[in-house]
Amino acid sequence: MRKSREVPLTLLAIVALSITACRDEPQNCVDAQNHLLPSGACQSGSTVPGAHYVYGGSSGGHVGDAVVGSSVSRGGFGGFGSSGGGGGDE
Amino acid sequence: MRRLTTTPRSDWQSRVEKIGLTYHTLADGSPYWDESAYWQFSAAEIDRLEAATSEIQTLALAAGDVILNQDRLAQMGIPASAGPAIRAAWNGEPPALYGRLDLAYDGTTIKLLEYNADTPTGLVEAAVAQWYWLQDCFPGSDQWNSLHEKLVAKWKDLKDYVIDPVHFADVGTEEDGMTVAYLRDTAQQAGLHTRRIAVHEIGWDAKGLRFVDLDNHPITTLFKLYPWEWLLKEPFGVHALETLPPASALQEYGPRKDRRAWGSMLWIEPIWKMMWSNKALLAILWELNPGHELLLPAYLDGPHDMKSYVRKPVLGREGAGIAVVRDGSVVEGTLTGDSSDGYVYQQLASMATAGGKTAVFGSWLIDGEPGGMGIRESTGLVTNNTSRFVPHLFM
Repeated sequence: MRKSREVPLTLLAIVALSITACRDEPQNCVDAQNHLLPSGACQSGSTVPGAHYVYGGSSGGHVGDAVVGSSVSRGGFGGFGSSGGGGGDE
Repeated sequence: MRRLTTTPRSDWQSRVEKIGLTYHTLADGSPYWDESAYWQFSAAEIDRLEAATSEIQTLALAAGDVILNQDRLAQMGIPASAGPAIRAAWNGEPPALYGRLDLAYDGTTIKLLEYNADTPTGLVEAAVAQWYWLQDCFPGSDQWNSLHEKLVAKWKDLKDYVIDPVHFADVGTEEDGMTVAYLRDTAQQAGLHTRRIAVHEIGWDAKGLRFVDLDNHPITTLFKLYPWEWLLKEPFGVHALETLPPASALQEYGPRKDRRAWGSMLWIEPIWKMMWSNKALLAILWELNPGHELLLPAYLDGPHDMKSYVRKPVLGREGAGIAVVRDGSVVEGTLTGDSSDGYVYQQLASMATAGGKTAVFGSWLIDGEPGGMGIRESTGLVTNNTSRFVPHLFM
């Protein structure tokens, strides 16, 4: 017998019926030195090197302002996968 | 082996949806999961496919040593900055979960087409959907598919070495999301706690010098359905390398001190998979094993004297950029593209064809051991994201 004796599913079946939750956190698009950039610089297709999101922190709200108060930045991964093709390989 | 047609279950869509295959239909409305046909094998044929998978895995392991000993990462288009981490991971042997060999099999010869070693998908179809299909339609038959059991067993092996929760990251497409949900399911059935995070949500804590989740909790073990070549090109790529040996601070995992070599964060798949998921591996395997019965002639510097061959970008994905040349003429794709990472030129294989389709046999490995098979059918010679999945059984 080469097949699995059983294939019980718990999480997969639940996820199949659910909608992936997403968070809506305040975010700022910054350059590598944490200076505020236009939000488009962090979106798919942008060519601005080092552009990424930081969550939390504060700034003057103008492009070029330093964002301070947050040591955690996000958005530094996922740019290649944002075109819709996914990260898996069929 | 033979391809047989059959009547699909009347409610097949709802049946496969309930077990995670929500992406069962293509954009044009035609089925991606196609149970109007199935492939039937003999036990001896399955034995051959399984033995071939083990043999190719052995060849790939030997090739990994050669690639590192001969400093051939640059030849594969792998950035020099990743070299020390790849070398350290190869020697430290951090956990490697799964991979899929794509094989050409015409009933006589078996040939390696490529090794999807880093981010293979099609797992829900192979491990789950076709198992349930068999139970419904041919309960007395067998199937080469112990993927579920092997995945759960592998996670159980890792329980002493990973720190809960294990984070699973994907980019949020439906197929990738369900693949990751299934892998989480197998990890949880092994007793591990898991959390899902989108790839773009992964945070870098510049004070703690560590990756964090949305609650800013450190990520200690990360399964990522996202290829290493992309990770390293992105803004956090430099930080990824900082979590890996030899750059990272040592951290002990479980009872074995040698696991300190795994780095400050455990990545699954490990970074050394860059060597195997790269199609330059095909040329290196041929160079090291010329004439091997399971390999096709393959070269990096052109087609040599081949008149019928396939040109593949070494970092190509999902059939993109592939050109097929038969008897000197392009019959699929185009040769006009220019991949900065280079190409591999691989002899055109003899493929199984039936019902107007060409079949590729995806042979799965769990923890380096053969574990099952999924079959994709295409109207052309290139498998891509519109190629259908067809189940199988053996007698």
